[in-house]
Amino acid sequence: MVGKMKLSKSSIGLIIVSFIFYLYATNSFSIFQRDSALEIVDFSIENSSVDTDIPSNPYRNPYYGDLHVHTKYSFDAYIFGVTATPYDAYRFATGEVIKHPLGFDMKLKEPLDFYAVTDHGFYMGMIENYADTSSKMSKNEWTKPIHNINRPENVTVESTGERADLFSSVLSREIINKPYPWWHPNYLGAWLTNNIQLALTSFDYDVHKSAWADVAKAAEEFNDPGNFTTFIGYEYTTSTEVEGGNLHRNVIFNSSNAPIRPWTRIDSLNPEDLWTWMDNLRGKGVDSLAMPHNSNGSNGQMFEVETFRGNPINKEYSEKRMRNEPVVEMTQVKGTSDTHPLLSPDDEWADFEIMDKRVGSRPPTYSMPQGGYVRDAFLRGLTLEWEGRGNPYKFGLIGSSDTHTGAGAFDENNYWSKVGVLDGTDMGRGSVPLSQDRIDQLTQYSIDFNQPLSTKEIEGKTYADVGFDQWGASGLAVAWAEENTRDSIFQAFKRKETFATTGTRIAVRFFAGFDMESIDLNSEDMIKNAYAKGVTMGADLFSQANQTPQFLVWAQRDKLGAPLQRVQIIKGWVETASGTPKEKIYDVACSDGLVADPVTNRCPDNGARVNINDCSISNDVGAGELKTTWADPDFDPAVKAFYYVRVLENPTCRWSTWDALKAGVKPRPDLHETIQERAWSSPIWYIPDSSDLEIIPL
Amino acid sequence: MRLRIIVFFLIGLLIFILDVAFSSEQDSKDIYISDQELTSLLSAWQSQVGRPPNDEEIVNIINNFVQEEILYREALLLNLDEEDRIIKRRLAQKITFLKQETVPEDPSQEELKEFFEQNKGNYYVPETYSFSHHYYSKESSAKEIATKAFKDYQINGGELKGDPFFLGKNFYQNTANEIKKNFGELFFSSIKNLPVNEWSGPHESTFGYHIILLKEVKAGFSPPLEKVLIKVQQDYLSEAQDKAIAKYINEIRSQYRVVINPDYKF
Repeated sequence: MVGKMKLSKSSIGLIIVSFIFYLYATNSFSIFQRDSALEIVDFSIENSSVDTDIPSNPYRNPYYGDLHVHTKYSFDAYIFGVTATPYDAYRFATGEVIKHPLGFDMKLKEPLDFYAVTDHGFYMGMIENYADTSSKMSKNEWTKPIHNINRPENVTVESTGERADLFSSVLSREIINKPYPWWHPNYLGAWLTNNIQLALTSFDYDVHKSAWADVAKAAEEFNDPGNFTTFIGYEYTTSTEVEGGNLHRNVIFNSSNAPIRPWTRIDSLNPEDLWTWMDNLRGKGVDSLAMPHNSNGSNGQMFEVETFRGNPINKEYSEKRMRNEPVVEMTQVKGTSDTHPLLSPDDEWADFEIMDKRVGSRPPTYSMPQGGYVRDAFLRGLTLEWEGRGNPYKFGLIGSSDTHTGAGAFDENNYWSKVGVLDGTDMGRGSVPLSQDRIDQLTQYSIDFNQPLSTKEIEGKTYADVGFDQWGASGLAVAWAEENTRDSIFQAFKRKETFATTGTRIAVRFFAGFDMESIDLNSEDMIKNAYAKGVTMGADLFSQANQTPQFLVWAQRDKLGAPLQRVQIIKGWVETASGTPKEKIYDVACSDGLVADPVTNRCPDNGARVNINDCSISNDVGAGELKTTWADPDFDPAVKAFYYVRVLENPTCRWSTWDALKAGVKPRPDLHETIQERAWSSPIWYIPDSSDLEIIPL
Repeated sequence: MRLRIIVFFLIGLLIFILDVAFSSEQDSKDIYISDQELTSLLSAWQSQVGRPPNDEEIVNIINNFVQEEILYREALLLNLDEEDRIIKRRLAQKITFLKQETVPEDPSQEELKEFFEQNKGNYYVPETYSFSHHYYSKESSAKEIATKAFKDYQINGGELKGDPFFLGKNFYQNTANEIKKNFGELFFSSIKNLPVNEWSGPHESTFGYHIILLKEVKAGFSPPLEKVLIKVQQDYLSEAQDKAIAKYINEIRSQYRVVINPDYKF
């Protein structure tokens, strides 16, 4: 036998491996692979509506809304006893009454203009499915602790410990994230459709898809152009791999078209991958934006000076981030992230609703303020840009609630916090001393679940100590838009023509230009002229022959809230010589005809006081509206800077004081008795004239 | 004659005793798995895993089913199903779904029309107001200034000159809710009674005083059925489902008697 070649086993293996490598190298796998997260579904429903023309205002109206709302489809909300649907949530936003899990009514003082249900994307709808003992999933042994958890007789404050523990065990992956063995066919399915979730035994794709479709359907059903706007959306609930740095973001879509499933932390923990996905969707005609929140509880990770993988930030990263994340949610129930007393020691209003714990940490762990607050982030952005790496932190500002009951609690006097059964009572929130049986429950909880002591003694009384005392009745997102339609409001977010409030309906206009002082503040054409002669919040003001910029501010009070006390402009810049970030706060308008001191830049006391015994406020002081023009007295034409407005109301009782008043006890002495509700505009950035400056349109 | 009756009675008694003594316990220990049950078990497994089960897996599936059935029956023998609220609720839920499904799929045109007529209020398009106003900010002694300005205007004509209002001067086709949102209840209560095309004032709001020209009140109206057909269909269906359950419960309820201890302290 001559010339008969015989291939050995090892050479056949080598040929197969080379062939696979060739396919991989030439990217030929994409023929087999299909990205399920890029499948677009048209969720639109045929909405019959009566033809009325939608009025449009070229000078724009302020529309108030909430873009951060959880319902029963969120893994944690269901554990917190919430059974409200997305439909219930939208009903609440339009002014109807819905029920809190503990049985009381929740109703808005005034309906909202827009609302978006944003349930956690990962495991959306799954926990409800585990709890339903007729489902396939519930046959798994590990779902047992969740079975029928929200049966009516278990939705009580007594179930708090059980629920808190379930919440942690879901987060720590004891309950979910159980993969099939490697040889299982679902592994191939997961790979072929680029959908890792399919390889998890704890996951049922059909349940997940139908929950997401229901969220989308509710949004479509309630979207009513001209009257009420909704967005299809969800929360991308990611975090750093170590130390639990919260990197949560909400994603909303500007269309009835949306992907077949939300792209979640199971796909990737890296927010840059989220932006890639959003860029890809944009290529398919589906526009979206992402809004980070609770930077305060991120342990400084939200506004880091390096990327998720620890690489230095570069221009490409900055552009990609700003293309996808034009606005940041800077105030919500879990605290306000304007600035921290340690970061802004000269800001007398910095100590406002500070939540200094990492989000979801148990036991509660301190969150580093540096890199966690928006003013600091604006400064970091300037520094990065000064180093030639682009500005990834040039975002506008909004607030929202992050409620997990479907219903946002914006009112100090009518507050239910946000995590259902856990903080639905005054005792649970830590504002009123605990009864003996609640003390016993919390003690037992600490023993059962190996937790630190969950009560604290203050002046001889025992209070719950689980962190809810640092939460607050906040906030709202406000968009300056031509009309109340989905596209008009979405475009306002993209322009950053937005402001944030702590739940109050303050309204604020803010313009900058070089000829603002010539505008007659008493003329009907004031706003028309301001738009013509300058730029508004969220925009860049380019240097004009080194002239000093002039600003125009106009704030109006909430007609159902307290009168205004003062309007401030907060300036931040980086000193050119040293690269040191600086900030300064100017009171630019004072109520009651008062004038700010030219040395301290502070308004004198207007005399507004709160009577702690009944929470009544002084009625004869404060302003209905404040308006002024202002030129920066410390202006340096060569230095890049940002300016944003903070409007302060007269002081009013904090929710914890209202709780104590209603319970007939003394307010807890270590909490702020009063707060000043406020609004913040998006900044205007001053860009100096510079030959080597490269302008990146964002 | 009497004897015959006694004989029949004794025979009957004998049959009864035999029946109690031998039969009852026995057949309850059989587990009969029907063909349909087997098919549905296997196809449920297949839809979950994506392929038909092999022999070993089939044995497991059947064993699991048998085990569940045995535990279930033993639990029934111990009467564990009684007074279990989860089981009660599950059964109540099942019958509710059953009764909901008895609603006919597509209501006829007449039914829809009747429903629409009865619930016209839900589809009413509310009235709107178009108006202009001159605003006098609360900062100054607004009421006097506004009153004087308006008097001057009425006597001498010319133009009224107020402060700019935050949301502008002219408002086109605003509903009652929009006016309340922008100006407050007080302002709305004055505007709704104004004559059309006639300046009047000053009227108070939270923000100051207003001299108002109401230009047009567009009456509210009930749109024709075609315009709101889909919403009417949705509402009809959900009401029909609620009704079906309520009707069912009402029919049955009369057969039940509810007894509560009158001395119980709530």
